[in-house]
Amino acid sequence: MYTLHYAPDNASLIVRLVLDGAGIPYRTALVDRATRQQDSAPYKALNPVGLIPTLITPVGPISETGAILLWLTDTHGLGPKTDSPDRPAFLKWLFFLSNTAHADLRQLFYPHQYCPAEAHPGHAEIIANRMQRTFTLLEDAARDHPGLFAPARPLAAYTLALARWSVLYPKGGARWFDFADYPRLHDLARAQEARVETPVIARAEGLGPHPFTAPVHPRPPEGSAL
Amino acid sequence: MTLILHHVPDYASTIIRLVLEEMALPYDLALKDIAGGDLASPAYRAINPAGLIPALETPDGPLFETAAILLWLTDRHATLSPQPHDPDRGAFLSWLLFTSNALHTAALSMAYPHRPAGEAARDAALAAAYGQVLARLGLIEAMVAQQRPRWLSADQPGVLGYYIGMLMRWLAMTPAPYHTDPKTFPALCAVLAAHEVRTAALRVADADGLGPTPFTNPRL
Repeated sequence: MYTLHYAPDNASLIVRLVLDGAGIPYRTALVDRATRQQDSAPYKALNPVGLIPTLITPVGPISETGAILLWLTDTHGLGPKTDSPDRPAFLKWLFFLSNTAHADLRQLFYPHQYCPAEAHPGHAEIIANRMQRTFTLLEDAARDHPGLFAPARPLAAYTLALARWSVLYPKGGARWFDFADYPRLHDLARAQEARVETPVIARAEGLGPHPFTAPVHPRPPEGSAL
Repeated sequence: MTLILHHVPDYASTIIRLVLEEMALPYDLALKDIAGGDLASPAYRAINPAGLIPALETPDGPLFETAAILLWLTDRHATLSPQPHDPDRGAFLSWLLFTSNALHTAALSMAYPHRPAGEAARDAALAAAYGQVLARLGLIEAMVAQQRPRWLSADQPGVLGYYIGMLMRWLAMTPAPYHTDPKTFPALCAVLAAHEVRTAALRVADADGLGPTPFTNPRL
């Protein structure tokens, strides 16, 4: 059985939505961010980059959200196979989510890693503008490829988690994301919340009754989001 | 339908070209004039809505994102990486994604330091990106030295060797004080050195004007 090293409301949430959505059994192992357990030697032995999530599989640990999603897709048939005509669209949007959408959002959450304090307001504005364009591209992609962006599948789970975090983080930052601008993604959020596994995951991570359409800051039963 | 690579020499499309040559696949080049506004044209945005290089037109539609194109090519032709259901697939994917969303993004921030926070924060953004580049190359170096993976090896070519080779090239061509010396990452450098002397690499180096030893000691 797989083990998902997770922290509440971290990128592990994306993997959890996909695993539970497909009915794939796994156990969780909390990474306690309050004590910076992600920087500990035992965790770095599994994931040298020290980021969450890590998925432990029979063929070893897999790190990077996008890599885990790809591996699960190919292992469990959760998306187009390598010779499918839909494979190019699946791959390009998965990598776009990983290295453009997710990477930019991380810049917004951790600006001190990218520029000095006096540049933070300008940095936040630049990245927020770029993220709005990014969500517009994802809105169009979800319209063009409804099967690939089906609820609980990798591209949808990834997109919805990024939308949730855009509403909540950074705490005290300017708010720039509104589902009214992205009707297709709004429908997707409602469809994801209507799935039977979503409230179970939301309870386990303290995400509230509407984790995507009306996000609130998490109150997890164990662990810490930040 | 032949593959069509939308290309600018010595841009990320060169990574794709190296792999196409290594696989001996037929392809056509569509050369793009960035200064002339080609990437902003409606025709190009229909192929790549993000408006970046590279894009690859395939019989199954257009592809963009360097790593997505590499993965599609390597899976479709079952060569140059561990395939699905190979026990090494998970580790390969982990480091492909890391190269794409951590090393490549940091290298782009070094090439375009005004992008993160504007012109005023250019120097600080450059310094921050340089620190990230060195730390991330250090993680790849440690992984190669300790695990000796066959998918990033001097003994056989791989998509990741060409990908990291081109990133190393651009980092090594960055002037001091933000210069990266490939030799400070010796295990990785040995892998890249084996890739840059392959027939496919020599052919692309000639066509794209990359000069000798394009990955480990680039000179224009």
